[in-house]
Amino acid sequence: MSDILKISKLSAGYGPLRVLHEVDLTVKSGERIGLVGLNGHGKTTLLRAITHMSGWQQGSIKFNDIEIGGSRSVGAGRRTPRLVRSGIAVAPQGDAIFPGLSVRKHLECGAYTKQAWKEKKQRIENVFDIFPPLRTLEHSLVGKLSGGERRMVSIGRMLMVEAKLYLIDEPSLGLAPKISHGVMEALWALPVTDAAMIIAEQNVNLLSGKVDRIVGMHAGRMRGEVGHVSLL
Amino acid sequence: MDLGLVIYALNLASIYALMAIGISILWSSVGMINMAHGATFAVSGYGAWIITGFMKPVIIASFGKTALATFIMASTLVGSALITGAICGALIYVLAFLPIHDKPNYPIRGLIITLAINIASVQSLLYIFGPRSRGLPKIFGFGRWEIWGTKIRFDQAGTIIGAIIILSLTLGWLKYSRRGLEVRAMMQNAEGAAYSGISRKVTALPVLMLTGALAGMSAALLSQTIFVSPTSGSVPLIMGLTIALLGGLGSVPGAVIGAILIGFLEAFIGSIPFLGQRYVMFSTFAFIIAVLIIRPRGIGGLLDDTRE
Repeated sequence: MSDILKISKLSAGYGPLRVLHEVDLTVKSGERIGLVGLNGHGKTTLLRAITHMSGWQQGSIKFNDIEIGGSRSVGAGRRTPRLVRSGIAVAPQGDAIFPGLSVRKHLECGAYTKQAWKEKKQRIENVFDIFPPLRTLEHSLVGKLSGGERRMVSIGRMLMVEAKLYLIDEPSLGLAPKISHGVMEALWALPVTDAAMIIAEQNVNLLSGKVDRIVGMHAGRMRGEVGHVSLL
Repeated sequence: MDLGLVIYALNLASIYALMAIGISILWSSVGMINMAHGATFAVSGYGAWIITGFMKPVIIASFGKTALATFIMASTLVGSALITGAICGALIYVLAFLPIHDKPNYPIRGLIITLAINIASVQSLLYIFGPRSRGLPKIFGFGRWEIWGTKIRFDQAGTIIGAIIILSLTLGWLKYSRRGLEVRAMMQNAEGAAYSGISRKVTALPVLMLTGALAGMSAALLSQTIFVSPTSGSVPLIMGLTIALLGGLGSVPGAVIGAILIGFLEAFIGSIPFLGQRYVMFSTFAFIIAVLIIRPRGIGGLLDDTRE
């Protein structure tokens, strides 16, 4: 299987702060990877650095054998839209929702390719099938929804186009266990035969038995990998 | 409060709303406080003056003095002001957005550069056209209507109706078009917009052209009441900026409400005998400061944490 993502010697941070210390990570096609680690040890920064959202970064990131990394000290987010359009779908931490737009408009925002915009009705229906609670909330403002519903909107927006690489940051953060199980189920149902998925998560129980590899992060460095694990 | 006062207030409010909405949309989506908005206002006034001056003999020669000629004159004036404003917006995009939009401290640098553009273009207008005011053709005619004993001048009614049409077109574009959806997404959460593949660099150009066209429209409408002069943009710029702040930067309904409030306040203060026109500016800014002390985010503004 080919490498979808190959990160080598990636350092990144914000201002004077260095969060990632020469991280290496390879993701193969068809893999689901769980990224575990404590708060403040670089999981989110790694996902943000892949889409150029970190403050600064240096090191190589190869996405489908195309170099998308490089050294950069300013311009956070400048290349992000192009990277997203090239096939990296992101469900960021804190959901990055638009508080004044309705659920339907949100999902339309996610349909940024021409193909997806044409089929947006069908695709929105698909997202509603994955997250049935959203169907009744179709026209309500997302700023007034609960945390779980916002997470569904954020992940639904990510699901509107087919991507090569899915980056999901803490899908269970701040959710009740029952709701977070539902959200995770939706993620496991997503086919990744041609794609790959990286899930940053603190709750290893939610990942166990579902992901192909679990990668640990500590103090901005990779700490060991475990293969297919089952804790329960 | 009689009807004449209400019409006068709405007249002011529609000019202010056109300016304030432009500044507000631009700040929240592109992240730029456009100090060159006043220059856009003045330049589009002059653009309309040149083009209508050039077209006037042609229109009179081919249509005579019919109603059709007046209509074509009106559309030439409004169209030329809109197009000049949009071109000014595109120039501001090239000069003040493209070179610096990914550098640190972009909002401050953008503020300084657009202020420089404002000063430079006002000075060049003074250099080229001189300080004399220029009158634009009166597209609404000189008549007045009598409604319930009040006289309403055509230019006031035309200004209000024109502003309402342009504002509804703008809001409809924001609400129903795909580009408008992108702009609204960017206004509400820049990071989420980037993750939805919406590029600020691409979206900034239509936004700047739209807000420039709004400034051009307000110049065309205000030219029906007063004359066009190189410095005519400064008062609309200051009022637009403060009303955008009053309404909450980034909130279009807030800007409209703020413009209506300020319009009525100005008309009302001006009509009180012992206060009069001298106290209009004073009371306006006192009111805006008072509102911002009580509600720092403005009338319709989002809290900073909601925006994050």
